[in-house]
Amino acid sequence: MDILSIIFIVAGLFFMIVAAIGVVRLPDVFSRSHAVSLTDSLGAFLMLVGIAFHEGLGKNTLKILVVLALLYILNPVIAHATIRAAFRSGVKPWQKKSS
Amino acid sequence: MIFPFEIPLLLLLLVTAAGAILVKDLMSAVLLLGTYSFFLSLVWGWFGAVDVAFVEAVVGAGLGTVLFLLTLFGTAPKDTRLHRPPPSLLTLIVFPLLGFLLLYAASDLPEFRDPSSPASVHISPTYLEQSYQDTHTPNVVTAVLMDYRSLDTMVETVVIFAAGIACILLLRRQVK
Amino acid sequence: MTTFFFYVMVLLAILIGAYLYRVLQGPTIFDRVLGLNGISTKAIILFIVIGTYSERVNMFIDISTGYALINLVGALAVAKYLEQKGLP
Repeated sequence: MDILSIIFIVAGLFFMIVAAIGVVRLPDVFSRSHAVSLTDSLGAFLMLVGIAFHEGLGKNTLKILVVLALLYILNPVIAHATIRAAFRSGVKPWQKKSS
Repeated sequence: MIFPFEIPLLLLLLVTAAGAILVKDLMSAVLLLGTYSFFLSLVWGWFGAVDVAFVEAVVGAGLGTVLFLLTLFGTAPKDTRLHRPPPSLLTLIVFPLLGFLLLYAASDLPEFRDPSSPASVHISPTYLEQSYQDTHTPNVVTAVLMDYRSLDTMVETVVIFAAGIACILLLRRQVK
Repeated sequence: MTTFFFYVMVLLAILIGAYLYRVLQGPTIFDRVLGLNGISTKAIILFIVIGTYSERVNMFIDISTGYALINLVGALAVAKYLEQKGLP
């Protein structure tokens, strides 16, 4: 059981590291939102599943699954609201300079 | 190798505080203060004070940010730009001196998690041993807050409620 | 296993630093909001990992649930404000 949880947590950390690199490196708001909402949600999913494996069956695991469901719903909602506000207030999407 | 984990958290706190001072408009300062509350809540959680962490997260990061935003909602965009004059010579001398004095005084404090410090030999053992017989509450902090100091907590709640009513009145008048 | 969770905590703190760079640096205000969202996700997970490390998960999970909901309220307030007010 410990091996399984370690595998899940390391996979989650990998996706989180990718998301952090994306947040630092990508050029504008719209592309950064992909790193924050999609990749981060997947990393959080894998990490919480790993911790749930470590806990074993019980009340704690149920609560961890509730947190997981909340994260999985709320993270894209927040990213969508932010990006809609950015689009409506006139932030131009980044384009490759054609020089 | 296991080092005290509060050091990276405190570093993040310092960087966030410096950023909130140095940033150019009020909106970003509000967001940075929300981040500061998240980190402070993590520090409380790491020290094991879970209820303080919960209050910090709810009041600092949630309510504080929303109330600051509602206040900014009633202002013009030119008011939210900050123009900072460079700090005067007196500030540059006095504040590092004050910080040095505080650090010098902090070196006399008892060691962290020291079992023979005055705070943990005087009254804490009494609470830890007798709170379950007195109040039948498994959490000692909750027992102290809600039972031994219940009148204090009640008056605190009254104060916070009055402050909330005042905020609602002020903000409602501004929106109209 | 405890050592493993400790290193997970340290790595999460370093990742929070990367998001904090985006919050401090962000050219527009929306970058800061997105960075705050990422920091709060990391903080929720860091709370649960701290709880697992100190073997008192049942206390810490309740906070992280509250954290997630509070974060939703704050971020939606910011988005609403910016959508009505425009770019500062």
